Amino acid sequence: MSSTFNSHNPRVKKAHQKHTLNTPIIIVLNFIIFITLLGGGITLLFFKYPLGWTLIGFSVIPLMMVFWIKSDLSEIPVKPSDDFTDLLSESLLLLLNENTTPAELVKILAKTPGGMFIMVRFGLTIPVFEQLTNYLPASVEPIYNTAKAIREKTNSTEITGATLTVATIENLPSFEQLLNQFKLNISDLYQGIDWFNYLNGLAKDSKKPIHSGGIARDLAFGYTPTLQHFAINLSDRYTGASHKVQQAENAEIIQKMIHTFTHGGRQNVALVGAYGSGRSTIVKNFAETLMDADSKIPNNLKFRQLYSLDAPSLISAAKDQGELEYLMIRIMNEIYSAKNIILCLDNAHLFFEEGPGSIDITNLLVPILEAGNIRMILIMDDQRFLEISAKNPALANSLNKIVVNPSNQEETIKILMDQVPYFEHQKNVVYTYRALTEAYRLSEQYIHDIEMPGKAKLLLESAAAHSENGLVTAESVQTAVEKTYGVKVKVADSDQDREKLLNLEQLIHERMIDQEEAVSAMANALRRAAAGVKNQSRPIGTFLFLGPTGVGKTELAKTLSEVYFKGESNIIRLDMNEFVSASDVSRLIRDGASDALSLTAQVMKQPFSVVLLDEIEKAHPSVLTTLLQVLDEGILRDEKNREISFRDCIIIATSNAGANTIRDKITAGAKINDFKDEIVDNLITSGEFKPEFLNRFDEICLFKPLSKEDLIQVLDLIIASTNRTLEPQKITVTLSPEAKQILIEQGYDPKMGARPMRRIVQKTVENIVASAILSGSAEAGSTLTITPSEINIT
Amino acid sequence: MAIIEMLSWWYAHGWNVFIKKNRHTLSNIVDFFSMNSLIRTLFKPFRQISAETASADSSLDLKMHMFLDRLISRFIGFFSRLFLLIAGTFIIIIGAICSLALIILWPLVPFIPIAGIILTVTGVVL
Repeated sequence: MSSTFNSHNPRVKKAHQKHTLNTPIIIVLNFIIFITLLGGGITLLFFKYPLGWTLIGFSVIPLMMVFWIKSDLSEIPVKPSDDFTDLLSESLLLLLNENTTPAELVKILAKTPGGMFIMVRFGLTIPVFEQLTNYLPASVEPIYNTAKAIREKTNSTEITGATLTVATIENLPSFEQLLNQFKLNISDLYQGIDWFNYLNGLAKDSKKPIHSGGIARDLAFGYTPTLQHFAINLSDRYTGASHKVQQAENAEIIQKMIHTFTHGGRQNVALVGAYGSGRSTIVKNFAETLMDADSKIPNNLKFRQLYSLDAPSLISAAKDQGELEYLMIRIMNEIYSAKNIILCLDNAHLFFEEGPGSIDITNLLVPILEAGNIRMILIMDDQRFLEISAKNPALANSLNKIVVNPSNQEETIKILMDQVPYFEHQKNVVYTYRALTEAYRLSEQYIHDIEMPGKAKLLLESAAAHSENGLVTAESVQTAVEKTYGVKVKVADSDQDREKLLNLEQLIHERMIDQEEAVSAMANALRRAAAGVKNQSRPIGTFLFLGPTGVGKTELAKTLSEVYFKGESNIIRLDMNEFVSASDVSRLIRDGASDALSLTAQVMKQPFSVVLLDEIEKAHPSVLTTLLQVLDEGILRDEKNREISFRDCIIIATSNAGANTIRDKITAGAKINDFKDEIVDNLITSGEFKPEFLNRFDEICLFKPLSKEDLIQVLDLIIASTNRTLEPQKITVTLSPEAKQILIEQGYDPKMGARPMRRIVQKTVENIVASAILSGSAEAGSTLTITPSEINIT
Repeated sequence: MAIIEMLSWWYAHGWNVFIKKNRHTLSNIVDFFSMNSLIRTLFKPFRQISAETASADSSLDLKMHMFLDRLISRFIGFFSRLFLLIAGTFIIIIGAICSLALIILWPLVPFIPIAGIILTVTGVVL
């Protein structure tokens, strides 16, 4: 069949008629004419004028018109044919014509709801399209053909502006390249069509009448005053809007619930799943299914109402356990008498354990659950269910457990598409498609306490606060993650960031002398992370620094933290000589509430940081084994079994192991790369480290001992640091070349590195400056030049 | 032109649409009066006012009391439902008759202006 627009098609004519006639003005005008004719006719008849009959007779014409407009012209359904015009949506029927060119088509699409939807949600703005018109085919026919094919692929009923927009893009010679620029692919756009169709469907559904039982629905059911005081009626919220988006698994769970409640046996369901996995949504959908008069469920379940018991208000209303039990018994009696209540216990564990905000009424509930006279839904997480099962097997056995699994990526995106209109309405923003996919990706990576789809919804909601001109984009989601979790997820885009990353080695060397290999390895790791090319399932970088003391291993970690991780405070330092026994493993993973300085607690608080494991060789082998997963997958589970992510950390382990060999080799004139493998082999053969541990590091960097030449630069850095300290007093210190030479001679110790030099400067330079300041010889703006005569080393 | 379009629709799809709309209206009335529920629960106690049942070892006095309570509740339920059933049935019948009449009169509606002209010409006055 043809893929051309036929302006003689009856649908086109009808669309234009609708556009002209189905307007409030025309409808009101018709009513005015009707009232005028009818009123005039009656008046004339009242005064005995037979002409009144004619007016009354003609008054039906405007009424007929209104009926026709509201019935025949209210919607223009597509025709089941293969003709392009028969399949077009109303807005396109109005705007297209036989001579439309591809360039005109682009402008027309921007005026249709579907076209606007794709352009806004995918960031493909009108100027982008206008630039591309030169690359479009000469005629619109191939675009129309593609639109027909897309309609079939996406199972759409009609060709909307959205379909035609995607078809236009697909007709560009290198559309994949264009989409890549927007970080999209063609299947994303097809999802966009589905999304548009879904929202359109929701709007149409909202106009359908609601059948929810009528006035006599609850006549046969009892009053529940106490229950209503302490519970929320979930069925009250039934609006009649159909929920098309439902995980296949959730629909299955609802069927299982219906089966449980309509067949004999224990009338309860325990929905067991992680927080955020959609347990409450299942209950909500179940409540709506029961309230829908048109749903295909057994009569003994129809119009049953779901009440969610509010544990805190119940506990606060009761003075003691006795009163609480009395209240519960009263509520249960009401439910039993009412005959139409299903009780939902959200966070059901609150009713099975003693604690703040919870109360143990197991003894009261178990007989009720076992008897099965009252229908109940219990919501709890896997861990709580296990705890309750261990504590009270009778309770666990009396429950019909249904496991709720987290949604996968495809399901989550569909659920987000369903939720977005509510968020948009509440927050007055518009979400782009990439905001949804980014919310999935980043919540999967950074939110560990909640499951999908809950965590993606949470992130999407918080991203609204970072919208740009009311548009929530992927960048808004990234900003929300950066602000909330203190990590860097954006690819470096500002000139300042890029500059810093490209000159990272230089910046580090402003504080560090030599050790080129280690500096460059770390800088490269950071550049990979900032460019988004690092492995997302591992830390930014894992390094083992080997070398003698005082050569800058710890200093490099500090410098890196200062230069890139916003200050030295973002370094998480663990002295591994404090982890020398197997029992110390627990101190690594202790919960933050009991030990704020445990490794997991610190990383949880500061996920974007440098983790420095100082003197790693002193740690117990069990501690090293625990760290294997961190080095490999960037994950460590704490004592509460929460996954703590180290994927935004740089992990640096330092060790003096092999220091003597390094020093000897360097003194003998060897180059580091010549004996690096030998050092690593020695560490394994000597049993200091296991091969699987060393193998987990991205790089093992050997630090060479400092030479006298290096020490000159170290001295300059130390003096520069002293000058920074004196800066508020506007006093500057310099060393004469001779004084410098003396200090280097005194401070040089190949075994101890730069540390003796720091002590020497403290003893000499800093003491001289302190005396000068106190004696008044050093005033603001003065420069103290220290000469050999002033240096007095004891 | 719109008038001709309208008239051709009136005798083609229009009649069918009108029948469907009437059917929907009647179904909404049935839903509003919950006719199905009323028939199904005709003899059930009103609002379960006396749902408590006496246990086997309760005194005869209590058992009688419960039985009477329940009986009264069922009577109240029966009469209130019966009233609604009658009212609903009445309204549904009226609605159905009106719908049927309108459906039958549907093809005659476009002739009302002509009837008006005829009445004017014949000089009929109230």
